Amino acid sequence: MSDEVERIREEFLAESQEIIESLSRDLLLLDHGQKEGKPDPDLVNSVFRGVHTLKGIAGMFGHVALSELAHELEDLLDQLRLGKIPLSQEALDVMFEGVEVLQRLLGAARRNADPASEVDLATFRRSLQMLMGLQSQHPRLDALGGYDLDPGVLTVLTEYEEHRLRSNVEQSVPLYRLRVRFSLSSIDSDLEELKQRVKPWAEIITYLPSMEGGSDDAIDLEVLMASRTPVAELRDAIGGPDVTIEPVTRRDPGRTVPPPAPTTREGESRDEAAAMKEPGAAVVRPPSVVPAKDVNLGADALAVRTVAKTVRVDIEKLDHLMNLVGELGIVKSAVGRIVERLRQRADMRPLASELHRIHRAFERQLAGMQEGILDVRMVPLGQTFDRLGRAVRQVAREHGKDVRLVVTGAETEIDKLIVEELTDPLLHIIRNAVDHGIERAEARLAIGKPETGTLALNAYQKGSHVVIEIEDDGAGIDPARILSHAISRGLLSAESGQDMSAEELRQLIFLPGFSTAAEVTDLSGRGVGMDVVKTNIGRLGGVIDVHSQVGIGTKFTLTLPITLAILSALVLRVRGQTFAIPLNVVQEALFLDETAVRLVEDHEVITLRGQSLPIVRLASLFRISGEPTGARSFVVVTALGNRRLGLVVDALEGQQDIITKPLGKSLHNVRGFSGATDLGDQRVVLVLDAPSILEEVLASGDRRGVAA
Amino acid sequence: MSNGPLVKQQGSMMPANLRGPRTDRIRSASTAENITEFLVFTLGTARMGLPLESVQEILKLVAITEVPRASHEVLGILSVRGRITTVLDLRRRLGQPSVEPTRHTRILLVAGSDETLGLVVDTVLHVVRLREDEIEASSVVAADLPEHVLGLGRPRRRDAVRGVVGASETKGDSGEAEVIVLLDPDPLLRR
Repeated sequence: MSDEVERIREEFLAESQEIIESLSRDLLLLDHGQKEGKPDPDLVNSVFRGVHTLKGIAGMFGHVALSELAHELEDLLDQLRLGKIPLSQEALDVMFEGVEVLQRLLGAARRNADPASEVDLATFRRSLQMLMGLQSQHPRLDALGGYDLDPGVLTVLTEYEEHRLRSNVEQSVPLYRLRVRFSLSSIDSDLEELKQRVKPWAEIITYLPSMEGGSDDAIDLEVLMASRTPVAELRDAIGGPDVTIEPVTRRDPGRTVPPPAPTTREGESRDEAAAMKEPGAAVVRPPSVVPAKDVNLGADALAVRTVAKTVRVDIEKLDHLMNLVGELGIVKSAVGRIVERLRQRADMRPLASELHRIHRAFERQLAGMQEGILDVRMVPLGQTFDRLGRAVRQVAREHGKDVRLVVTGAETEIDKLIVEELTDPLLHIIRNAVDHGIERAEARLAIGKPETGTLALNAYQKGSHVVIEIEDDGAGIDPARILSHAISRGLLSAESGQDMSAEELRQLIFLPGFSTAAEVTDLSGRGVGMDVVKTNIGRLGGVIDVHSQVGIGTKFTLTLPITLAILSALVLRVRGQTFAIPLNVVQEALFLDETAVRLVEDHEVITLRGQSLPIVRLASLFRISGEPTGARSFVVVTALGNRRLGLVVDALEGQQDIITKPLGKSLHNVRGFSGATDLGDQRVVLVLDAPSILEEVLASGDRRGVAA
Repeated sequence: MSNGPLVKQQGSMMPANLRGPRTDRIRSASTAENITEFLVFTLGTARMGLPLESVQEILKLVAITEVPRASHEVLGILSVRGRITTVLDLRRRLGQPSVEPTRHTRILLVAGSDETLGLVVDTVLHVVRLREDEIEASSVVAADLPEHVLGLGRPRRRDAVRGVVGASETKGDSGEAEVIVLLDPDPLLRR
């Protein structure tokens, strides 16, 4: 029973989180639109709906504070969407703050904490009240610019539609009347399709079934819309055989408008509006007329259907499935070995080839299954980016900076588990970029940069990795200041600093102890806990790089594996020990020609197709004693980003699917391994952490051996 | 109080796997009132005990995968039903020289607050049930004892000892009860 309660609670938390995330996404879009001078009224509606739903479910689950706050926000949104309060920057600020507060309240609910201890509701309520006080009084619906609109139509407009109509008329946006005939059987989808078609060109104010025309199986709709697009272009864009578009004329006594007949949609939306209002609030219901047909118009029905197609799945359940598939992979390998043994025996050949066929089929199905499960675990980065967008806005506001966020590749998909671990490091980098990277407007203008700073968030897939770039056009990281800072902190001697390139110096920000929060605000560079960021990214099997030019900007590049789950790995041996290395970092493997090894400043290097390849002997890196098992050694060429390193090993055992399992906490300080895996034949082997090995050997070659 | 009834607990007797395969578990056996159960094992000449409830399992020594660059105390890792578990040599952990394993060598799976680790011990002997007055707190024994020493146990009653396994029971000549160094798993596993 309590399990059931817990499950429902989880469901509530997950759904609320989703709503809050989409609220924040809509607000960002709205914010963007407002800055461009054309906020999309649909977004206000969408935020309104989200807050309304949140209010409902929070109330249902007894989260009073959450529900009450949602209710207050809903009031504000209602005023906003009816144009009673202008959609100003202040209003947006309050909305953003509201979402932040909702998020904190949800956090409290998640931890079963007392919301009062987490959130200062009083302060937020004050700013909310202040904004509500701005309410302006509109004149009643009268001077509509002399448009030839039937008074009957006007009386059935909802308050919102009326506001939108007035708002358009006030801005002198021409009005159009669109007539369309829909078959009753497909009106839902046809109407939705029409809306999508109209949206880029015009705003739909209302639509009513027309009394003229129509038949038993078809209905004529009349759509009132506003658009600045010339009528000819409108006709080109949305016209069609069944669609006519006419401008609404001004004071044309000859023209008659069909008598209005509200559709169920209007009736519904009014019901909805009534339901949303506090009981007792006066809602004037216009005279309702029997609708032409009982048709369910509108996007809500469609939305419900879309939602029903997705299921929320606990990642642990997926992990369990993934584990099972992994075990099957081990079974598959075992069967493969039996096939090999059978093949050795002449009398077993027919049986062997039959089993071989079955084995191949099994292999294919298993691969398909693996892929399917992996696919389910993948989520687009967009959700994370939305959250980051909110943070950018907040930090920019805190620091009085003007920052524009540009996002590309939000659709790039990555393992859900990685996404979850990624938010904090990204947040950290972004905060730093806004706080320390991007200059204040005056400073920017003074050096000829655009007043508004730009923060770009780019994501794209590259092979089996996802690359995320965080780029700002700020002040850049000054290597000279890093140098003096590192020396003053005793991380570097003045002499060794002399020889370091600017890029090498910038890498110092990732050193533990490079910076502390107290001191960095003064420093134009970054470094607040960048070592932690780096460790976290490393734990996910990723690498982080920084490039920067003083005065021009800084770019952090994160390269991450797409998934942490089942990996194809190369099994290799070093002296008596067996290791596995994920194939996605392996470029190739070749024999090592000892005579071709050169020494370049104490580093061993070979030439591979005309390019130098640094190599490292794993036996010595890991200090594994003993003699090599074979006469020849192999070089496993690993690559990450632009960096390459050859790992010298004694033998290659072949390829195998593995599930990397974490090492215990007591081994977290041991570098070079990302986990361990069960090879299925009673062997537990360590999985090499290629990023950390590359890092260790390439970045701090001169300190090799000291670090371990 | 100290003579309160002993609650008979299922599974609190010696677990079958002290003799058999590694898969069985010791049921966590908390005790009635102020009686604590300890699993007693030997390390060299010393007898030591860990609270029974912290010992999840007793494994025979199996192949352990070495972890290069791990600290001296770490023997390596092994997979216990799919979970990768770090194994420490308890001798090294306590600053004693390690020895070659024998057929009595066992790995105790011990739960600390951070993670469950394997501890290699020489021989597992038995479970002892100690009353409060049979335990000398380390603060009483000596001020400078390491923090992983909970205290000393001196079982006084014959029936305190439950089950005997592996090596023969060697009592002190005087017939006086054995002194058991009682270990606190948390500081022992935290490093």
